[in-house]
Amino acid sequence: MTATTVVRPPQVPGSPRWAIAGGAVGGVILSVYVLLFLFGRRIAPFRPTELAGRSLESPGGDHLLGTNILGQDIASQLILGARASLTVALLAGLGTVAVGGVVGILAGWFGGWGDAVLMRLTDLVLIVPKLPLLLLLGALTGGSVVVLSVVIALLFWPTAARILRSQVLSLRSRTHVRAAKGFGAGTWHQLRRHVLPDLSLLFVAEFIPAAGRGVGLQAGLAFLGVGDPTLPSWGSMIRDAVAFRGVFITEAWKWWLAPPITALVLLIIAITLVGGAAEQRLSPRLARHTR
Amino acid sequence: MTTLLRPTPTATAPAGSSRGRRRAAYLRTLGLYAVTLWAVVTASFLLPRLLPGDPLRQLDDPDSGTFVYDAQVRDRVAAYYGLDKPLVSQYASYFVDLSRGDFGWSISQSTPVATLIKNRLPWTLLLTGSALLLSSAIGFLAGVTAGWNRGRFADRALITGLSASRAIPEYALASALLIMFAVTWPIFPQAGAQRPFATYSSVFEKVGDVLFHLVLPLTALTLGLAANKFLLVRNTVIATLGEDYMVLARAKGLSRRLLKYRHAGRNAVLPFITALGIQAGFAIGGSLFVEQIFAYPGMGTLAERAVVARDYPLLQGYFVILSVVVLFANLAVELLYVRVDPRVGAR
Repeated sequence: MTATTVVRPPQVPGSPRWAIAGGAVGGVILSVYVLLFLFGRRIAPFRPTELAGRSLESPGGDHLLGTNILGQDIASQLILGARASLTVALLAGLGTVAVGGVVGILAGWFGGWGDAVLMRLTDLVLIVPKLPLLLLLGALTGGSVVVLSVVIALLFWPTAARILRSQVLSLRSRTHVRAAKGFGAGTWHQLRRHVLPDLSLLFVAEFIPAAGRGVGLQAGLAFLGVGDPTLPSWGSMIRDAVAFRGVFITEAWKWWLAPPITALVLLIIAITLVGGAAEQRLSPRLARHTR
Repeated sequence: MTTLLRPTPTATAPAGSSRGRRRAAYLRTLGLYAVTLWAVVTASFLLPRLLPGDPLRQLDDPDSGTFVYDAQVRDRVAAYYGLDKPLVSQYASYFVDLSRGDFGWSISQSTPVATLIKNRLPWTLLLTGSALLLSSAIGFLAGVTAGWNRGRFADRALITGLSASRAIPEYALASALLIMFAVTWPIFPQAGAQRPFATYSSVFEKVGDVLFHLVLPLTALTLGLAANKFLLVRNTVIATLGEDYMVLARAKGLSRRLLKYRHAGRNAVLPFITALGIQAGFAIGGSLFVEQIFAYPGMGTLAERAVVARDYPLLQGYFVILSVVVLFANLAVELLYVRVDPRVGAR
C-alpha cells in the first residue's frame, strides 16, 4: 500500500436505526429541494435578475427575504438557485460513476498491463490538485452547468474506479461467474448478467457522495466567479454578498448571506444523511458479497 | 525488554534484500511523481490550445476594434508571439521558459506572472502550512480521545461536532467567524494579512501583527481539515483497543497516558501520515475560499482576480505552481512513509 491509496472517509459508526432515521430526514429535506427544482419558476415571485425593489430592503412586505444591493429579490434567487445545484449534483454524480465504472470494470476484468496503466492513471489523477485545475478549466470553458459537471466527472472518478475495480476483481473469481464461463458464456454476457447486477449497489453508494461533492464544487466555483453570471446560484449569491464588504458590518448578512449558505449546508447535510442510510442498507449485503 | 513489547505494526519483514526492495519503492514513487509533474505542465500548455478559440481571432473579426486589414501584419503579430511555429516547438519553448522561472505575462495586471506569484505564495504557504500542522494536532488528539472513550459522551460529541463542520463549506465557516469575532465582538481584524501601511519598530511587532491577522483565516481552514483526520485516527485507535498487546500493556500496569498515546495512538500514525499528503491538496483548495472572505493577500485571491479578468497566463501559473507545491508535499509524505513503514519495502 502506497500513500496514494484512497483513504475512504471512515464511516461514522452509529446504530443502523439512527442511520435509517437520519436518511428519512435527509430524504424529506431533499424532496423539498426537488420540488424547488421542478416548480421553482412558478413559485418565485420575481425574475432573479429583475430590479424588483429598492437596494438592501430588509425582509418583509413584497420581499420575503429582502433585496440585495441592486434591489433584486433574494427569495426568488434562492428558490431558483436550486436548479443549478441539483443539476450539477445529478450530472456530476452520474458522470463520476460512469467514468469510474468504465475504468474500474475494464481494469478489474481484463487485468494485465491495461490494469497497470489504468491504475497508474488513477494514481496520477488522484494527486493532481483538483480545485486549481477546476478553476483553470472553468475559466477556459466558461463553466456552464453541463460543462462543469463533465469536468468534475473527469477529475473525480478515481475513488469510484478503485472501489469498483476491487469488487470486479473479487467477482471475477467467484464460482458462479466461473461456472458461467465454463458453460461458454462470452465476456459481454458474463459482465452483463453476473457482474453488473452485483455492482449496482456499489454504483448507488458511489453516486450519492459524488452528487454531494458536485453541489459543493459548483457552489464553490460560482463563489470564485466561474460560471454563467446570469444563472442564479447560491454560490454566486454568496459571491455578490461578500464582494460587497459592507454585508459583514451591516445587518444585511442576515438576509443576503445567511440564506444561500443555509440552503447549501442543508442540501449537503441531506445528501450526506441519505448516503449514510444507503450505506447502512447496502453494506451488509456488500459485506456478504465481498468476503 | 520494553522494545520487544512495544507495539509495532505486525509485519513479516522480508528476509534478505529489503534494502533493494525499498530502493525500488522509492524509484517507483519518484517515477509516478515525475510523470504527474510532466502531465500537469503539459495540461497547462495544451488545455488553452485544445479548447475552441484563438488569441488572434479578434484580429480577423471585421466587427472587432482590433481588426487587422493587412494579412501580413497579422502574420507579424503571430510571429511575435511565436504562434506561427508548430505546436511541438511551442511546447518545447514553454518547457524551457518554465524551467527558467518564466511563467509569462499577466494580461490583467501587466506584470510578469512570476513576480505576482512570488509576492503571494508565501502568504498562502503560511496559511495552509500552519493550518495543516494545527489540524493534524487537533485531529490526532481528538481522534485518540474519541477512540479511547468509544461510545461515551466525549466520543459522540466530537463525532457530531466535527462531522457537522465537514458539511459546512469553508466560506460559510469563514463568514461566520468574521461576523462573530471581527464585527459583533471586534477582537480580530476583518481583512488582510498585516496592518495597512504599517511601519514596525521591531521584528516581534511584525510577527505579532501577522499572527494576529492569521487567527481567523487559520481557524476557518483548520476546522474544515481537522474533521477528516479525526475519524481516521479514531477508527484506527478503536481497532487497536482489542489487540493482545493492549491487554498485555494494561496488565503490566502502564499508565493510562502511556497506553493511550504510546500504544494505541502510535498505531494511528501510519494512516495519519498517508492522509497528510491528501490534506495538502484540500488545504490549498480551502485556502481559495478562506482567503477570499478575509481578503488575504495570498494565491487564492490572486486566482479569483485572474478568473474574473479571464487572465489565462496568470491562472496557468497559479495551477502549475500550486500543483508543484502539492506534488512535493505528497512526495515528501510518501518518502517518509517508505521510511516509517517496514511493510512498504516488503512487497
